[in-house]
Formats: sequence, structure tokens, C-alpha cells
Amino acid sequence: MQETAALHVEDLTVAYNSRPVLWDVDLTIPEGVLAAIIGPNGAGKSTLIKAVLGLIPRAAGTVSFYGKPYQKARELIGYVPQRGSVDWDFPTTVLDVVMMGCYGKLGWIKRPGQRERKMALEALEHVGIADLAHRQISQLSGGQQQRTFLARALVQDAQIYFMDEPFAAVDAVTERAIIALLRELRSRNKTVIVVHHDLQTVTEYFDYIALLNVEIIASGPTTEVFTADNLRLTYGGRVSFMEDRQVVLAGGD
Amino acid sequence: MMWYSDRRFWGIVAFTLFLNIAFIPFSSWVLNAEYQYTLRIVTVGGALLGIVSGILGSFAVLRQQSLIGDTVAHAALPGVAIAFLIAGRALEWLLVGAAIAGWVGVWMLNAILRTTRIKQDAAMGVVLVSWFGFGVALLSYIQRRPDAGQAGIDKFIFGQAAAIVRQDVNLIAIVGAFIVLILLLFWKELKLITFDYEFAAVNGFRVRILDTLLATLIVIAIVLGLQLAGVILMVGLLIAPSVAARQWTNHLEQMTILSALFGAFAGTVGAVISALDVGLPTGPLIIVVAFGVVLLSITFAPSRGVIWASWQQRRDRRRFAAQNILQDVYRYGQSHHDFQKPVETAFLIGLRGRTAQAGLHQLEKQGFVKRLDDASWVLTHEGLQKAQNFEESQQLWETYHLYREALDLPDVQQEHHANIHDVLAPEFIQRLERLQKGDTNDQSA
Amino acid sequence: MIKALERFIIEVLLWVTTPDDINALWAQSPRNTAILIGALIATSGALLGTFLLLRRMALVTDAISHSVLLGIVVTFLLITLVLDREFDYSSPLLLIGSALAGVGTVFLTEWLFQSGLIKQDAALGLAFPFLFAIGVILISRYADNVHLDIDAVYVGEIGLASSNTNSHCLTNCEPITITPDDPRAITVRRCMNCAAENLYPRDPRAEFEEFCGNCGTYTPSEAVRAEAQGIPIYDDNEERPTFVYWPKSITIMGLIMLLNLSFVLLFYKELQLTAFDAALASTLGFRPNLLLYVLLFLVSITAVGAFDAVGAVLVVAFFIIPPAAAYLLTDRLYQMLLIAPIIGVFATSTGIDLARGQFLGVFSVNRLLEALDDIVGLGGYTEWNVSISASMVMMMSFCFIVAWIASPRYGLLATLIRRWYQHRQFAEQLLLGHLYNHQHMESMADECSINTLPMHLNWSQHQVERIIRNLRSRHWIEIRGEQVMLTDSGEQHLLLFRQQLMQK
Repeated sequence: MQETAALHVEDLTVAYNSRPVLWDVDLTIPEGVLAAIIGPNGAGKSTLIKAVLGLIPRAAGTVSFYGKPYQKARELIGYVPQRGSVDWDFPTTVLDVVMMGCYGKLGWIKRPGQRERKMALEALEHVGIADLAHRQISQLSGGQQQRTFLARALVQDAQIYFMDEPFAAVDAVTERAIIALLRELRSRNKTVIVVHHDLQTVTEYFDYIALLNVEIIASGPTTEVFTADNLRLTYGGRVSFMEDRQVVLAGGD
Repeated sequence: MMWYSDRRFWGIVAFTLFLNIAFIPFSSWVLNAEYQYTLRIVTVGGALLGIVSGILGSFAVLRQQSLIGDTVAHAALPGVAIAFLIAGRALEWLLVGAAIAGWVGVWMLNAILRTTRIKQDAAMGVVLVSWFGFGVALLSYIQRRPDAGQAGIDKFIFGQAAAIVRQDVNLIAIVGAFIVLILLLFWKELKLITFDYEFAAVNGFRVRILDTLLATLIVIAIVLGLQLAGVILMVGLLIAPSVAARQWTNHLEQMTILSALFGAFAGTVGAVISALDVGLPTGPLIIVVAFGVVLLSITFAPSRGVIWASWQQRRDRRRFAAQNILQDVYRYGQSHHDFQKPVETAFLIGLRGRTAQAGLHQLEKQGFVKRLDDASWVLTHEGLQKAQNFEESQQLWETYHLYREALDLPDVQQEHHANIHDVLAPEFIQRLERLQKGDTNDQSA
Repeated sequence: MIKALERFIIEVLLWVTTPDDINALWAQSPRNTAILIGALIATSGALLGTFLLLRRMALVTDAISHSVLLGIVVTFLLITLVLDREFDYSSPLLLIGSALAGVGTVFLTEWLFQSGLIKQDAALGLAFPFLFAIGVILISRYADNVHLDIDAVYVGEIGLASSNTNSHCLTNCEPITITPDDPRAITVRRCMNCAAENLYPRDPRAEFEEFCGNCGTYTPSEAVRAEAQGIPIYDDNEERPTFVYWPKSITIMGLIMLLNLSFVLLFYKELQLTAFDAALASTLGFRPNLLLYVLLFLVSITAVGAFDAVGAVLVVAFFIIPPAAAYLLTDRLYQMLLIAPIIGVFATSTGIDLARGQFLGVFSVNRLLEALDDIVGLGGYTEWNVSISASMVMMMSFCFIVAWIASPRYGLLATLIRRWYQHRQFAEQLLLGHLYNHQHMESMADECSINTLPMHLNWSQHQVERIIRNLRSRHWIEIRGEQVMLTDSGEQHLLLFRQQLMQK
């Protein structure tokens, strides 16, 4: 099973100032699924993605992508950071940002050329904002910014995508466009791992979830894992919230 | 469209170049400057420094590290003083000393941030003023030495263009060319880490190394400028040209070129004026010129500038005011089932505040409302039509946004107050109308 | 009014001491005066700086002190050139005028940020240097009118504060009138300047009044000054007036310090609330908030008052460094407000000795220079005699570094020790957790043997052995053959730890 897994995390522990943020995380995500990482605020969802991608140091543990360590699997990985993590007033155009997706494959010093440009335009077409290619990025709406990031990830042409809250503060139309895109990626046997915070849409969108609160509470196919008991374990004492959830869950089941 | 195929940009470049060159005859005419050997050296030195710091300033400004530049500049002072004590007044050694001290300053800043809970602002304040205090103490030690050899070392505080000699300019030119070369070589990488650091890391770039490279280049640029602009005000030559350039363009490439030209202008003008009058320190003059460029830019630059923005805002406000009032009058009539029922001015002011008056007058001029007496209004026939059209358009917009995806309609970037008929082709509008009339179940069809 | 206040203080002091002692304490002792003024500035700055530090606005002091320079120069030029009046740097009018300029520019930059065209760091790095630059240009242009050396702009002249005094006459304070037929008026003919210019002796334009004891009415202090110039005014048997010379900066800085202190005491509750309110603390993004602007106004006043003593750049240290050091030492606001001034006062009083080469009385900089002279060659000049204000700042930096290294809770040493300890504890929990997770699984034999643990945990063999040793000594694990097993007490301990983890 370990060979076919898109992502395999073992005993991953991360600490800030020796206070554990992630504790002994074991997680295996199979190939070709739409997976969500779910948990309360401060549970370490973004930290998990960043630690997996080597953006923050790990105190212990191993991570492998399709059985390979991070250094060797770099080309397989696509990343969509949180929209708020960059300065959208940066003087550049949508097309430029999307072309950044191919910088990794280009390697050091080499410049992007016509081929990369064409790829970027195709990706923009794909996410439905081809007409915005030459627009300055500060003039984008939140949804368009998110689409720009997605287009950049498409240009990366990866096998496994990590997305940090791609649905945060986007309009309903964009949300639907994004999920359509993610489904399409899945149909091409890519793996998509998403940090997600909206419990309402979990069953609809994702077929695989990991419930996280510092530790992994449960992980597996949504139908098996997304239960009231597991949610209560994950979200702890938020009882009133839990009552609400149970109603929805009852309907969902 | 690539960044270099932009006519407006090349226009601005040409204009700035013209100003740069025109300053020389202008200054010899107004200030009676004679471009003898010394002044020529100063001019070239100022221009070169302006170019180098302007280019690197773009990155410092975009990474929001302007104040780190300030810290480096202040921290360089003890380095200058110690280098002077050891090696004497050779510029190369003073710059080496400054660079080392500047680096240690940045290191100390990072160490404080990493190991304590002191936030960036206070950490910068502590490092900046600590090093500056140490530098001032060393400087006063040097100044009180009985030997006369210390002349000019105190000029590093505010800068002294007149002290620049041929060798200094050569040094600036060589180091500057080296910096530009490295920037060109790693342009793609530096742009990437400046915009999206994490993405660069995930794509396998050695971000730590790039970070250090960029920081080193910025330190070198600051240090090169210390003799001209001084430790206290060097940061101005670093960031002002980029801030000004940012207002004129939306491309990093364009911004960097403009920034270099603005920097050259500020450097030249400041250095020449100061060289003509020995009493005036160079750093402050450069800052004043550079800040003047910034002020002009934020005032006049198209689409970002203050004048442009306020003009647009006023236009929008007026347009919205009229449209909103028309809608208010229409809804008032609708709710009373009588579009001829007069609306009192006071009521509209209550709804919309002061803009109501202006809006009403505009509508009256356009013939959409009629004044009945001093304090009440009624819709005209045209007004009723217009308001109905707008209401209809609004509803279509709402439907459009709900079902754009489902109906596969083109994504138009228009604001709500535009008439949808002007934006969408009739066949799409028909589809939307059909949707409105029928059940929402049509959506799935 | 200020003079009246000084007089009152002196009268109070005279109950316990003599005029000569007071003079010996301040006017004749540049050292004492410098220490006192430094301490007053340090206290004022530390009180205000603490709140700015907590609100993440420490650099605003940098901004204000820069822009205050322009305020000072412009106010000064306006008053001397336009109103043609005599003036000096401790005048209250100048104080308030320049302080308003300081706060005004904060408003201005705030507007600059809000226009959205310039990022906050760039605006700070741009607007204030610009105002400062104009100030410097004006000074170098009108140096004669502003009585300012350009160097004083960044270091000040705290060593000279003792010589800028108000004189208070205590006894024999009758003015002395010298008529032309007074024998003492002989000196009138000595003053060729006045005669040549056809000036009436008391004419304010007579710049050389103290050199020429010419006829007219003398205040006692003028008479004494004239005598000091060798012009006999009092008879030998006549009682000379007694004076107390009182450095002006002491009064001004004392008042400012009291003002700041009473502000902090009066509004302690409100200040505390805003200091810890995260929304308000958002760097420079202050809302129209009266309390904050009062705070900034006081910062401006303090910067102006301290200007001739420590200059416009080094004054920033008095606002930032002591609170930053105190912040490393304590979590309580009131303790910070006590510790920060203490650090500031300690640094100023030891800094003055450092300026002469004595570091806390244990180390001589001159020795170091002598040694260095032998190695690198300093031209034989080994006397460390440097700027007093810069030395005070250096002592502050020293205090900061000491706090940074040795603070019992946040210091480098304490952190290192704690980290080392926690790292160990952490590794132990990790191992226990690993054992727990694989306890009843088939893979246990592979996952939890002494030989495979290093591989699974990504640790070295040595590390694993050490941790196992520690855990065994506490009976949390036991070893059977090659197999490492969790004991019951180990399991309990682990579950407790995990519970705490989730509830953090």
C-alpha cells in the first residue's frame, strides 16, 4: 500500500519554541482522491501542509510522495498557498504570476519563453480568466486571485497538489468553479489535498478526509470518517456547534 | 502585451532621461555651475549611485524591508569608524568596514527577532540606535585625536559629495556593474522570492541563499552610497525612487528601470547642488529631490495618483448619487402603488444624507424628476422609464451572478450600476430573462 | 513662570543646604547636571516608550524625533527672524510649537498610508527622513541664526547643559546704578565699541555689555558678571550678592518628566487596556484615538525638551532601549514601568563615566586603546574621551544585551536550558507515543524493536538508547528481548500528556 500512496506521513512532529503544534502525525493519502484536512482553528492544518512541503522544519518524522522523499519528488508537487500570503499590490500581471508556475521546471537562471507563455495562457483559459491575462494583479477580485493561483498550480503540472484554504472568502461562483477544477484533476488521477474549514461542504466535495487537532484524530474515506463522534473528538468542547452539526449529519447520512 | 511593448512607459523613460540630461545645462545656467573636472566626477558618481540604489530599492520596497535598509545604514557607522582607525582614509576599506558592520547589524536584528519576543519595530529601533550610538562615540574619539588626518570622516553622517574623487567613482562603477549583472542573472528567482517566498521554496529554489544574496546586494548598495548620502539619510536614496516609480507602472521590470532613472536624477541633482555649496550636506539634498519626485508621482501618476483618484471618486459619487436617488423615488412610488405621489426632500435626505440634494438637482437637469414645490418631487415619465429599466437591469445582474456558471455566460468585469444591456449580448439576456420568468428549476436544464 | 518655579525649588532646598552647595551640585558640576538631565530624559522616555513598544509603535518615536527637528528649526527661525526676539532652546513656546509639529507630521504620514499608495514601512522610511533633511538643510543654511552646530543635531551637548543657567539672586539684590559721574563709570570710556556705535549703555544691541562696565542700571547678576570680567563694581567692603545658578534644562526636563509621570499614573487603566488590545496595536494603524495622540504629543514634547541635550537621533534610544530591555525581564506592565526607568537611569549615570573611559569602574577603555595601539597602531592617541550622550546610549545597549542573555525567563541562557530540557521531554513523549500507536498491531515486532526504532523515528541509535534508558529508569517502558513495551504507568502518563496537548 505504501508504494501506491500519493502521500505518506509517518510520525511527523512539529514544534514552535518546543511547544508541539503537530504531534506524531501518521497519515496516508491514496492516489487520485480529493482529500481535505479538517480541524478547528489552531489545529495545525496549514502547519501540516507546510511541514510536509519542507517549508518549516520538522522535529521528527518522515514524509514521502509516491514512495519518494521530498527532494526527489519535487517535480510531482504543486502548491497553492493561502491567498493572503502574498502582496497583491505587487507590480506584475496575471500572466506573469501564472508563468511562475513553470519556474521550478525551468531551474536556475533560464528564462521563460514562448512555450511557457502558451502553457500559462492555456491554464488561464482553463480556469476561465483568459481575458484577464494582462491585468495587474491588484485589480483582481478575491475569486479571480484564487483562480490565478490555481492556474499557476496547473502550469506546475504536478501529480499531487497541496492547497491551503482555496475556498476561503471566495464567492459562490468561484467556489463552484474551483471544485469543478479539482474534480477534473481527480479524474486525471491526480491527488489533491486541501486545507478546508467549512464543514457544511465536506461530504459534498471530498472523498477522503483527515481530521486534525494537533494529532490526527481520524483519517480515511469521508463516508467512514465524517461521523459525529469523530467531529466531537476533533472540535472538543464546542457542544452547541456540535448539536448543529448533528442535525446536518443526520440529514447527510 | 509584454512589459517592453508599452508606449506610455517608454514615454516616461524618455521624459526622465531628458530631465536627467537637461539638468546639466540648466544648472550651469541657473546655478552658474561650471562643469570642471570635480563637478563632472560628482555628477557621474551621483548618477551611478542613484541607478544602483534605485534598482535595488525596488526589491527592498516590494519586500517591505525599507526600514531594514535604514537599520543597515545606521549600523554601518561604527564599521566606517573602525576601518578608518585601522586602515586610514581609503574608501575601499571604509566600505568594507561599513559592509561588515551593516551585516552584523542585520544579523543582530534577526537574532533578536528569533530569540526574543520583541517585535520587529522595537528590534529595529534598538539595533539602529545602539549601533549609531557606538558609531558616534567612535567618531568623537577620532575627531578629538590630535592628528589632523581625520578630516572628512564625520562627513559620513550626512554625506559629502564634494569629497568624491575619481577612484571612488571607478569603484562605484565596478561594484555597481557587478550588482546589475547579478540581478539580471537571477532576475527570475529574485522576482519569485519577492512575490511568493513559499512558492519559490516549494519549487526547489534555495530561498535562503537567494535571500542572503538579495540582502547582501542591498547592503552593498547602501554602503556604496554612504559617502555621498550619509548614514542617517541613505535610506531615502534607496527607497524614494522605487516608491515614485511604483506609481507610474504595474510591471516590476518597468518599475526597476524607472526607479534607476529617478535615482539617477535625485543623485545627480542632490550631489551637484551640494558640491556647489560646501556648506550644504549632500544626503539631505538628495532626499529632498527624491521626495519631490515621490510627491509629484503620487499626485499626478495616472490611475494611482491622488488627482486621478479624487477625480474618479467624484465622478462616481455623482453618478451613484443620482442613480440612487432615482431608485429611492421609484421605490417610494412602488410601495405606495402610485408613481405620482410626491416625495419630500427631507425624506430623501434622511435616506441618503447630503448627497441627496446634488443628486436631485442632477436628475432634474436630466429631466428624470420634477420639482413640485420647494420640498417635494415627483418622477417624470422618462424618469419612471429609466428607473424601471435600471431595476430590471439590477435583477438581471443578480440572476447573472447566480447562474453565470450554469448557463455558461461570458465573465464580464462590470460593476453593478452599469446597464446590463450595454454589457451582455442580447441572446444571453434573453436566457437570463427566461430564467427569471420560469421556475429556478430551469437552471438544471 | 519657570523662573518662579525654580525659585520655589531653591527656597525649599535652602532649608537643608547652602547656596554654594547648590551651585557646587549643579552649575559647577557638568557631570552631576548631565547625570540628572540624562536620568530625567531616560525616565520620561522609558515611561512613554513602554506603551509604544507594547503597541508595536516603537518606531514612531524615531519618526517623531526626526520631524521634531524641523519643528524646532522652523519655530526658532520664525521667532528670531520674523518676530526678531531673543530665544533659547528651553523656552516653553518653542517646546509646544515644535511638539505640535511632531504630532502634525504623524497625522500627515497617517494620511499618506491611508491613501494606499505607499506601504507603511516605505512611508516611515521616507516622510520622516525628508522632514529631517529639510531641518538639516535649514540649519546648515542659517547656522548663525539658530545657534546650532550641525553635529549637535544628532548628539546634543549634554556636557554643556550645566553652563546654560538661570541665575537666582538671594541676598543684596538691589540693582546698582552707575551714573556718568560715578567713579566706577570710568570703564565707560574703556568700551570703544559702545562709543563708536554711539550706543546707550543699556541698549540691547550693545553686545559687549559684560565686557564694558558702562553706566546704567545693573541687575545683580550683570554686576557680578562684570566683576568677573575684571571691572570693579562693588566696593571691597560691600556685601556681594549671593546667587544660585540653576541649569535651565533641569527645570524643563523635570517638568516634562512630571507631566509624563502624572499622565501615566492618571490614565494607567486606559493605557493598559489599549496597550494590550490587539486590534489597536496594529502597528501604525491608529484610529482617531485621543489617548494615543496625547501620548504622541508627550513624546514630541519630550523629544524637543531633550533636543539640546542628546540631539534628535540619539534621543530615540531613551524611548526604545530601556523598555525593550524591561520587556525581556518581565510580563507585568507595572513592573515594566518600574524597570525601564531604572535601566535608563542606571545607563545614564554610568554612561558619563564610560565617556571618559571608565566602564562600570571595573574596566578602563584607555587600557584597551593602549593595547590596541600596540597591535594595530592608533597613532599613540589612547585617551578615550567621547560624546557623553553616545556613551549613555552605549550603556543602554549594554543593559539590553545583558537582559537579552541573562533574563531569567526570556534570556538566551534560560531559553537554551529550557529548550534542551523540553527537547528531551519531547523526544520521550514521542517515543512513548510511537509505542502506544503500535502497541497492539501486527507490525509491532517491526516497529518497536530496539534495532528498528532509530529508523522509524528518524533518530540516531545513540539518541534512542539514551531516551530508552531515561524512560526505563522511570518505569514507563520495559524491554523484553529486543521488544520495547509500554507499561501501564507509561500509558497513563502519555494519555495525560495528550489531553493537555489538545486543550492548550
